[in-house]
Amino acid sequence: MSASIADICLVGVGAVGGILAKQLATAGLKVVAFERGPAIKREDYAGLDSISFIARPNTLEWVKNEPRIFRTNPKEPGAIRHGTSPFNALGGALLLWTGQASRFMPGDFKVYSNEVATGAAERAGIDLSDYDVVDWPIGYDDLEPYYERFEWEFGVSGASGMNPFAGPRRKPYPLPPLRTNAKMELFGAACRRLGYHPFNGPAAVLSEPYRPPPPYDTRMPERPACVYCGHCNHYGCHVSAKASTLYTAIPVALETGNVDLRANCKVASITTDDKGVATGVKYFDAQGGLQEQRARVVILSAFVFDNVRLLLLSKTGEKRFRNGLANSSGLVGKCFFGHGDMRIYGLFDDHIINAFIGPGSATMRIDDFNGNNFDHTGLGFIRGGTMGASGDGTPISRMDVVPPGMRSWGREYKEYFARYYTRTFDIHMAPETLPRRDNRVDLDPRRRDPWGLPLPRVTFAFHENEKRMHRFLAGIAEGILHEAGASKVWTELPRPAPTRQCGGTRMGSDPRKSVVNEYCQTHDVPNLFIVGSSVFPTMSGYPATATIAALAYRTAEYITRQRDWFR
Amino acid sequence: MQTKSTRTRVQRGETLKALTPRQARLVEAIAGRILPSTDTPGAIEAGALYYIDRALAGVYRSLLPHYRRGLRAIEKHAKAKFSASFLKLSENEQDAVLSALEAGQVEELSQGDEFFELLRSHVLEGVFGEPSHCGNRDLIGWRLVGFPGQQYGYPDPYIDKVVDLEPVACDGPPKKPAEA
Repeated sequence: MSASIADICLVGVGAVGGILAKQLATAGLKVVAFERGPAIKREDYAGLDSISFIARPNTLEWVKNEPRIFRTNPKEPGAIRHGTSPFNALGGALLLWTGQASRFMPGDFKVYSNEVATGAAERAGIDLSDYDVVDWPIGYDDLEPYYERFEWEFGVSGASGMNPFAGPRRKPYPLPPLRTNAKMELFGAACRRLGYHPFNGPAAVLSEPYRPPPPYDTRMPERPACVYCGHCNHYGCHVSAKASTLYTAIPVALETGNVDLRANCKVASITTDDKGVATGVKYFDAQGGLQEQRARVVILSAFVFDNVRLLLLSKTGEKRFRNGLANSSGLVGKCFFGHGDMRIYGLFDDHIINAFIGPGSATMRIDDFNGNNFDHTGLGFIRGGTMGASGDGTPISRMDVVPPGMRSWGREYKEYFARYYTRTFDIHMAPETLPRRDNRVDLDPRRRDPWGLPLPRVTFAFHENEKRMHRFLAGIAEGILHEAGASKVWTELPRPAPTRQCGGTRMGSDPRKSVVNEYCQTHDVPNLFIVGSSVFPTMSGYPATATIAALAYRTAEYITRQRDWFR
Repeated sequence: MQTKSTRTRVQRGETLKALTPRQARLVEAIAGRILPSTDTPGAIEAGALYYIDRALAGVYRSLLPHYRRGLRAIEKHAKAKFSASFLKLSENEQDAVLSALEAGQVEELSQGDEFFELLRSHVLEGVFGEPSHCGNRDLIGWRLVGFPGQQYGYPDPYIDKVVDLEPVACDGPPKKPAEA
């Protein structure tokens, strides 16, 4: 296949790439799938090894080769940072996620209409003139059937109808909620007493053995139920109860015989012809040799940083691609954002919590302060975030959790950690960040990766809307922990770098103001698609996974309908 | 007493892979202050030194020069302030040296605060990490805080209950209890 023209070149085989490969290959299209990392094995990821996965992730083969530069101040050169997203291995970051599988809420797609156009932002008392808030060109209803397909193919456990703020659903979750643990109980009871609406947050972690029933994809393998080992966040699942494409969609895709998987192959650029049509990719093979693969359609399904980087690296001398491929809007890399993860800690003298016992994905939550679910009048900000009982982790994850003012070593520290490791949990939240053009990803002028390609460079800062929101949400969470009976409570505000990054190749209907259309197809190059959180025009107070999965199903369906492209 | 325990361990045939014997004695003495032995064992008994030594010979290789420089500065500082090697100081004096380092006030070392944070993290990793990385001997760290280790899973959520399981360690993915 390599010498011929493939139907599809897929760049990145993680959550999105795994779903796309399965759907496109099943429709009979010939797919060449590039994964820059190795085809990772269970022995590599399922070791419950907190030293390798928590203390030193930067030394992992799947992390160390693709750092990025981060800076808050555009006048500074920035520092090298590693992250487990992107996770450079087959299956991608879905190997390590916690499994939080919430759909976005209907309002998350219409922030401009709901909160700017209506004057809600003004009433809240926030000036958004430096932000670039827009609506998505699609809404919740457009994605609903695809959310459903994701939930039923990957197996999502949850309590349908329990969250009054969730969008309407045609079908319930396929599996009942995961087992309740102490932190979920304490958090839920405190929230109910405060008049909030706790619910079992949906998790792509199986509460019972599961295989999708018809009409969903019954080729997906049966997987066992969660054993509550608690090693979710940053670990691979040793029983495969947590959904990952590595052991679900990818083997099904390979089984079709239509996927030529090229692991350890790093795509360097997208090639185009003089008509401005994508012709394929150039890539480094496993031995480091530069190769070319031609294709009728190219799909970028890498993470935010590489989607942007590849477009910028693929610029040509031609006028329209001088600033990068698909960048006539000038927006490639712009309006980058991510969550400002916060933790509010509570120590309990009256309860033994054993927060290291799963489920680990903050599975008791409230949305009372997410999105536009509460009145923001006079609060000084719009939007919000979901919050839930968290605090899982081995002692390695928790050894730096020390109340303010206490020395983090010595006898007092030892006594504190010995007493409270089993008597603490925290409220985790991932508040939304609004898009701005000055928060962006571009190419570092100096530093390069092991293939000699410029590293992606992030320039990002939280601004007034976020900072006010963070303080407000911290106050709410502190109140919940006090109500739950915590004897000591403190807040860790977000660090400078955002997490669960999104944006950079914004979706929209106006080619002057966006990079891709509602089908994730670039406005400028009709046979080039970008699928993933990089297309989000605005984000949400939720993790992105369910939504990027839904976009992948929807885009695959759109592409397979274009029969004349593949004749 | 700390030096004696070091000597015993080194003599027991645990060869050092990255640190010199003198550096190793210093690291062990520092570890003993970061997580001291009290009525329960601490970082020395957990073998934090050996965790650090193995790591410095492996994935933390690039940090070895920081250790050399940092340990030299700690010794210099101890001699300047207390006219003796760090190893000979009282616990309070050792803590004073480490507190100065933590505050970035050891003039013999620029960015001493960062080196302290590195040491502190590595010592605690050596106490609370998986024994497959050479620390946490006899699962001392896990027993100290009540963590039962790399369990296959938990049939009970242990709500408001002490987990009464014997801690377990494994190399590689855990095996089903029946298979173990």
